[in-house]
Amino acid sequence: MTDYSPLLLSLKVAGISTFFVFIFGVFFAHLFSRKKFFGKSIIESLFMLPLVLPPTVVGFGLLILFGKNGFIGSWLLNWFDFQVVFTWIGAVIASIVVSFPLMYQSAAAAFESLDARMENAARTMGASNWRVFWTISFRLAWPGLLAGLVLSFARGLGEFGATLMLAGYIPGKTDTIPMAIYFAVESGQMEKATFWVVIIVALGFSTIMWLNWWSRRNIERYKNDNA
Amino acid sequence: MKKIIYFLVMIFFVLLLIGCTPEDKEEKTTLMISAAASLTDVLNELKPVFEDEHPSIELTFNFGGSGKLAQMIIQGAPSDVFLSASESDMDKLQVEDMILKETRVNFAENELALIANKNQPVKVSSFDEISSATVEHLAIGEPESVPVGRYTKQVLEHLELWDSLQGSLVLSSDVRQVLTHVELGNADVGIVYASDALRSGKVTIVATADSDWHDPIMYPGAVVSDTSHSKEAKLFLAFLTSEKGQELLHKHGFK
Amino acid sequence: MLEVQIKKKLPHFLVDINLTVEDEILVLVGPSGSGKTTILNAIAGLDHPDDGRITLNGNIFFCDNEKPLPTQQRNIGYLFQDYALFPHMTVEKNIAYGVKKMNAIEAEKRIERLVNTLGINHLLSKYPHQISGGEKQRVALARALATEPSLLLLDEPLSALDSRTRLECQEELQRLHATWKTPFIIVTHDMQEAEKLGDKIIFLESGLITKTVDNRSGKMIC
Repeated sequence: MTDYSPLLLSLKVAGISTFFVFIFGVFFAHLFSRKKFFGKSIIESLFMLPLVLPPTVVGFGLLILFGKNGFIGSWLLNWFDFQVVFTWIGAVIASIVVSFPLMYQSAAAAFESLDARMENAARTMGASNWRVFWTISFRLAWPGLLAGLVLSFARGLGEFGATLMLAGYIPGKTDTIPMAIYFAVESGQMEKATFWVVIIVALGFSTIMWLNWWSRRNIERYKNDNA
Repeated sequence: MKKIIYFLVMIFFVLLLIGCTPEDKEEKTTLMISAAASLTDVLNELKPVFEDEHPSIELTFNFGGSGKLAQMIIQGAPSDVFLSASESDMDKLQVEDMILKETRVNFAENELALIANKNQPVKVSSFDEISSATVEHLAIGEPESVPVGRYTKQVLEHLELWDSLQGSLVLSSDVRQVLTHVELGNADVGIVYASDALRSGKVTIVATADSDWHDPIMYPGAVVSDTSHSKEAKLFLAFLTSEKGQELLHKHGFK
Repeated sequence: MLEVQIKKKLPHFLVDINLTVEDEILVLVGPSGSGKTTILNAIAGLDHPDDGRITLNGNIFFCDNEKPLPTQQRNIGYLFQDYALFPHMTVEKNIAYGVKKMNAIEAEKRIERLVNTLGINHLLSKYPHQISGGEKQRVALARALATEPSLLLLDEPLSALDSRTRLECQEELQRLHATWKTPFIIVTHDMQEAEKLGDKIIFLESGLITKTVDNRSGKMIC
């Protein structure tokens, strides 16, 4: 009888993380897409940083922030009696941080390539900024946003380094699929490792496959659009 | 296009600079030592002492996990001496005839230490006081894949604590992570080698484990068969087991 | 009545104009890059002048030191070059986009009338990429007028059409203006079109008005 808890945990962690990453990513990408201000490129570089840093460095940084004595961690502990380190929520946070750059980049590209006249046209018709965003910008940017969403989910599913630092490896509590694989390989349990490798490859492959199929169909549909 | 040219010119200058580094005038024998990562500090301190004594020999180290190093040597990575943190990895090389059997020697022994954060009081003062009531999180090495974790599991099983502690164990992929968890105060206590505990300024040793609670933690060293400097390699091993070498090892927490 | 008196620095020259429009068709003529679209955008509130004053029927759109009135509250119709129809909505949704929900029945009647006048009834369930250039132009007009704007801005409205459709649409515009009776501002670089449509024609060059012609009397005003 195989223990499927790593699969459920991985889906839960990647799912919740993708939810937050999507909201934050879309929010900041839209906020920054048509604005130029001092320090914008600094903030954007900061956003992209987790993409190029080694995962253990990201993990260590998160430990310092969210640890029991960390800047945010001690505050959460004192006011909400809420601990992030060594819990599955730590895995969610690690996953958010490493997949945010993917979402932000996709969303920023999607919003920047929008035809500004579409939004302007909606505005002249009296639509509030919120309505313009929701009915025009968001809808038209959706293919790019969805790409970011799927990539973030796939990245969250595969996240290992930072998660191991922040969430630790507690069997039954914080053992996601990548952790199960890593420790199975390291201890020579090849059968167990292979089982999880097959599952995570199938998951990752099918999400990306689906995205490719979907975006191709979508491109066909709007092909004659820019007359 | 301009950028590419600029980039190539930069690379050219960097290569030029590297090429210009002055080389040693006299011929020295360079020994490549593949050593377990836990020996990093002691070997770096030992290097100048040894080189003073043997001016014609220069030491270069390749630090890593013992298992990986053994793997690299089997694959033919150039190496003159192998210093392992586990006997089983050395055994692997011996079976393959990759080391000179007669040079194999246990040059150090390590202990397991229960560590805590220096600035954070803990409710335990010995191994047998550990329980899920006194300790919220106990950081240890993963028992199947990390050597220190294997010894830790032996100790906790010997003390009949292993099963009751399951929910409190935070398993790490190496000793450094165990130290980090304790240093940052996220885990109340952790179990590492005594030599590793001494390397960190932010943790204190609460207790050390009796050596009969676990298999002996031996550090075997041997000369690699492929070496073309076996004389110098043997000199180095001899130095490790000499009084001076042992003194340095003791200073760094080895027995 | 629309009164515009603005200055705006552009990369190559300064736009400095002063014009008033009654309930008539004003045509702005000038080579590309003479500041025509800048003026339309300033009136629409999509871009703000450096200083000056814009008012429509006494309503202040823009005044030196005050916060400009947001585009949404200016109640204008804007027909963009290439129309900017929403590609993900049907023609019907495009037209209804700006209509307030409050008096739905009245709005429905108004849209029906508009759609009938413009002869685009058969297009309602189609998407923009499924209809021709001339049809797009009519849909965009219907969309701009559906909100009952008190001013209509048209940026090169006919430039993408072939000459026959163009002729039809010019007549369409004049008919619409006759029923709507609000100021229309049309931007074009086609002199013939300007003479056909305009009650008043203003010639622009590098951000400045070079001459103003009253087209109905053929008199040069200044």
